[in-house]
This record gives sequence, C-alpha cells and structure tokens, in this order.
Amino acid sequence: MSRPKSAALPIAYVVLRILVILNWLYGAAVLGLVIFANSYPAWFMKAIDVPAGVDPKPIMIGLTAIATLGVLAVPLNHLILTRLLRMVETVSRGDPFIKANAYRLNAIAWALLALQVLSMVIGTIGKAIASKEFPLHLDAGFSVSGWLAVILTFVLARVFAEGALMREDLEGTV
Amino acid sequence: MAIAVKLDDLLHERRMTLTELASQVDITLANLSILKTGKARAIRFSTLEAICEALNCQPGDLLEFEPG
Repeated sequence: MSRPKSAALPIAYVVLRILVILNWLYGAAVLGLVIFANSYPAWFMKAIDVPAGVDPKPIMIGLTAIATLGVLAVPLNHLILTRLLRMVETVSRGDPFIKANAYRLNAIAWALLALQVLSMVIGTIGKAIASKEFPLHLDAGFSVSGWLAVILTFVLARVFAEGALMREDLEGTV
Repeated sequence: MAIAVKLDDLLHERRMTLTELASQVDITLANLSILKTGKARAIRFSTLEAICEALNCQPGDLLEFEPG
C-alpha cells in the first residue's frame, strides 16, 4: 500500500537549503561586524549607546568575544543543517532506517550540545559586561528546551541505530 | 552460518526447479534464492510451512545444524 505523498519533505528540503546559505551569510555578517567594530571602536561605542562615564574597553572585549563565539556557531549550524538535509533525502528515498542516519543524528546531538555550551558562555559574558548604565539583554544562557533537544536527539540516534538493525534483520528474513 | 539450508538437495530429489517451487509456495524467486544460497538471516514459520507442504518434507529435512 503506498502512502499519500506529503508536502512536508519537499518544503523541509528547500527550507534547509535556504538555511544553509543564510547561516553562512550570518557568519560573514558577524565576522564583518567584529572587524568593523574593532577598526572603528569609537564609532561602534557611540552606535550601541555606551554612556560616556562607562569604561568602553571591557564592553568592547566582551562584545568581541560574544561575536567570535557567534561565528563559532556557524560551522556547528552547518553540520546540523547538512546532516538533516541528507536525512530528508533518505526519507524521500523511502529508506530512513539506515546506520548512516543514526551516525548523523549522533553528530547533530553533539553539535546541539556544543551550541548549548556556547550559548551558556555567551550568556555569562553578557551578564559580566552588563551594568545599570549599560544594560545588555541577550537571548543566550541556560535553556531547558535546548538541553531537552540535546537529550532527545541522542535518544533518537539510538532509536535509529536499533531501527537500522531491525531493518537489516527484516531484509534478511524470508 | 552453523545452520545449513538443504533446499538444493530437496529440489534435486524431487526433480523440481526453484521457479516451480516459487510458484507453488507463493514466495518470490529472489527470496527462495536467498534461502537456497544460505544468505537468509531468518526464516518465517509461514515460509517453512509452505516449503514443507510443497516438498512434502519435515523442517528437519530442510535445515541442518552443522557444529563449528
């Protein structure tokens, strides 16, 4: 019995391809911002409204560190998106329960874990450079849903590994 | 594998081809070929029953344990 074709897969494929490009553009933009901000620190401090009485040096160092960590997230995002893309391709072919997908999910889980650690480090730096005069609100730090996604992906990787074994057994059954 | 499939011998004794058996037991020729060449990882009871019925034999006639 053939299953009805779902639009979800082609949409996911196109969205993931777009996200791969956007991710690199984001990385290039952040890198450009870091270089520009460090080349023209006075202009940058004025642009982000650092009050006159506040020492700009720690803020500059902190923001540069945050941006650099943001750039580090680009290859991790790329790893996640490209692995997901390959997985969507296997689903389209009707054969998702293969060992390669279990390895891909495992790699995604490690990348998600690294992103969570990056986010926590960024959040800590943000809190360190924020003050009453220069409040800095970053969408970074410990995230319950983020860590839940890490655990879920590791579990899913095991499910796929078991599924691949079962599939192999089924294929060898007459 | 320690379990040997003696389908070839049984077919030879009964002067039957694999294609004829496939049509009688409603199992694809490809699957029977996998079984005959010993590449199968498992065999369903329904497959065993169909083959035994078609070849008029017992499961023990089809499978043999060869100690390593």
